[in-house]
Amino acid sequence: MANAWREEQITIAGLKVQLLHGGQGAPLLVLHGAGGNHGWLQFHEALAQQFHVYAPSHPGFGTSDRPDWMERVHDLAYFYRWFMDELQLAPLSIIGFSMGAWLAAEMVAMYPALIRRMVLVGAAGMKPAVGEITDIFLLTPEEVLQKQFYDPTQAPEYARLYGSEPTFEQRQIASWNREMAALLTWKPYMYNPKLPALMAQVKTPTLMVWGRQDAIVPLNCGALYQQAIPGSRLVVIDNCGHSPQVEKPQAFLDAVLPFLSAP
Amino acid sequence: MVNIYFFTEMPYAEFNEREAEKYPSMRLTFPNTYFDPHKAHVLFRNYYDQYQWAEEVGFDGLMINEHHNTPSCMDVAVNLSAAVLARTTQRAKILLLGNMLPTNDNPVRLAEEVAMADVISGGRVIAGVVRGIGIETWANNTQPNYNRERFEECHDLMLAAWTRPGPFRWEGKHYHFRVINPWVLPLQKPHPPIWVPGTGSPETIEWAAQHRYTYAAFLVPLDATERLYATYRECASAAGYEATAQHFAYMVCCACADTDEKAQELGKHYLWRMGHPLRGPAEYWAPPGYLGERKPLQPGGPIRAGRRPMYTMTYEELQEAYHVVVGSPQTVLEKLSYMQERLGFGSLLLEAQAGAMPHADTMRSLELLGRDVIPQLKKL
Repeated sequence: MANAWREEQITIAGLKVQLLHGGQGAPLLVLHGAGGNHGWLQFHEALAQQFHVYAPSHPGFGTSDRPDWMERVHDLAYFYRWFMDELQLAPLSIIGFSMGAWLAAEMVAMYPALIRRMVLVGAAGMKPAVGEITDIFLLTPEEVLQKQFYDPTQAPEYARLYGSEPTFEQRQIASWNREMAALLTWKPYMYNPKLPALMAQVKTPTLMVWGRQDAIVPLNCGALYQQAIPGSRLVVIDNCGHSPQVEKPQAFLDAVLPFLSAP
Repeated sequence: MVNIYFFTEMPYAEFNEREAEKYPSMRLTFPNTYFDPHKAHVLFRNYYDQYQWAEEVGFDGLMINEHHNTPSCMDVAVNLSAAVLARTTQRAKILLLGNMLPTNDNPVRLAEEVAMADVISGGRVIAGVVRGIGIETWANNTQPNYNRERFEECHDLMLAAWTRPGPFRWEGKHYHFRVINPWVLPLQKPHPPIWVPGTGSPETIEWAAQHRYTYAAFLVPLDATERLYATYRECASAAGYEATAQHFAYMVCCACADTDEKAQELGKHYLWRMGHPLRGPAEYWAPPGYLGERKPLQPGGPIRAGRRPMYTMTYEELQEAYHVVVGSPQTVLEKLSYMQERLGFGSLLLEAQAGAMPHADTMRSLELLGRDVIPQLKKL
């Protein structure tokens, strides 16, 4: 029996925030990437069997307000401190995807005591040792989508997410998401040069999950996180691109659920 | 009385333009391995000779501009060209149109450079300011989201550097300087005239009108230009003054030859600048946020709506739209006179060289314009 999830508009620090949440159990914060919040997906539902999953749209994304002072990823980390306080969620676990994983890394550097466990999926934030993080803003949305998946046919929700022509409202939101993502990540593009030093002090149990064929954030960034964060682990999913949670949801859940459920 | 300016983007057309078809655009990511500095050396000499010649044959002013990562414009530093012209010419205005403010990280240095050019030239500089097309944001790697904010703050700081006695301090949003005290100040007081170009953005027109700056419409259809100028006049009235011809400039591609037939042939070189350099993905031209914060889709607003991109137009259509004006002196005079009478601009900016237009033909074109067209236009 599926748990009911719902969408609400809440107010945090004076900002209207779009929040999807559902499930029962310990709180689990899901942080979306630069492309924005794609709604309640299969993997949310699966996680909601064991956790109370919170999937907000970051400030400036979706229908969440955009504060004019916010311009770096660590500014989002301040916001999420207020978010956790307001909803009384701490300590909680986090799953971050891509830019959202970079955000999770900034959060754990700022307030480690509030975070139980952390999962970084195809995480931005680290300057690659080899290669480059794909410049998504220089590509058309279609080209970005093409790079995002290794084999779209194996993604069960691909058609639902990308199969039909977006509505005007969806295109408008996508354009604003892109604008906010560019603001947050423009220079240096998609990484924080201080992150290796910050990650070296992390004691929070951390798991990295990467698609082996990730064509947006190179796999070697996963290795850099693993080297930087003491005791962390890197799970690589074969034949998979930048978004394992959508492209190979079962393999993703098999990697993540035991880690998050550990005492 | 209308003032006439000569302009070339200093293009580099020394390769097969069809090479551009292999790439998303001829700008930004078109490989610079196609560039040969020895060929560029010859081109630069030709272009600077054309500017000197234009002054000699009767042009009132010399317009220069700046772009990056593109063979369509080798002038990558408008202030460098201003310095060259300041020394190689004697009388003509030097119209910088212009310095890209948002991509500039040091407005004080910018103010110094323009002031120096003004002093060297004996006070002939017109200090145009531009936002820069979206591609410049990529080439200079500046935040596109802050393009307009940086444009305005850079302008304010440049003006302060010219006019406010130093030393003083600047703590803005995007610019911070401890000791602003440039020694070299402009010769023109309180500062060189400022112009702003545009192709239809209403914010730019309003901003220009509020500051009483000359607004230069670049390759805008005549009917759209009438609406742009009308918007300027309305903003001027609201600001408590009446806009006159000196507040309006207009740029058009224009070449002249001894006969209409020859001119029609020569003018085909404009198809190069109207083609690949104007083509490219939306992501290049409008990086995220460049058009403004959380703007509704449909960039450009009502004034640009329905306008056909010039790279889709034929040679004949470009002429019918008055984007390209070519002909014998008589033909060119008739067309430019019609445009002047219809629009009432005070300055006409003639892009009289483009693509691979041969140097000798360009020099002849300038001579004919200077001898047979400009004196007549000035009588209007």
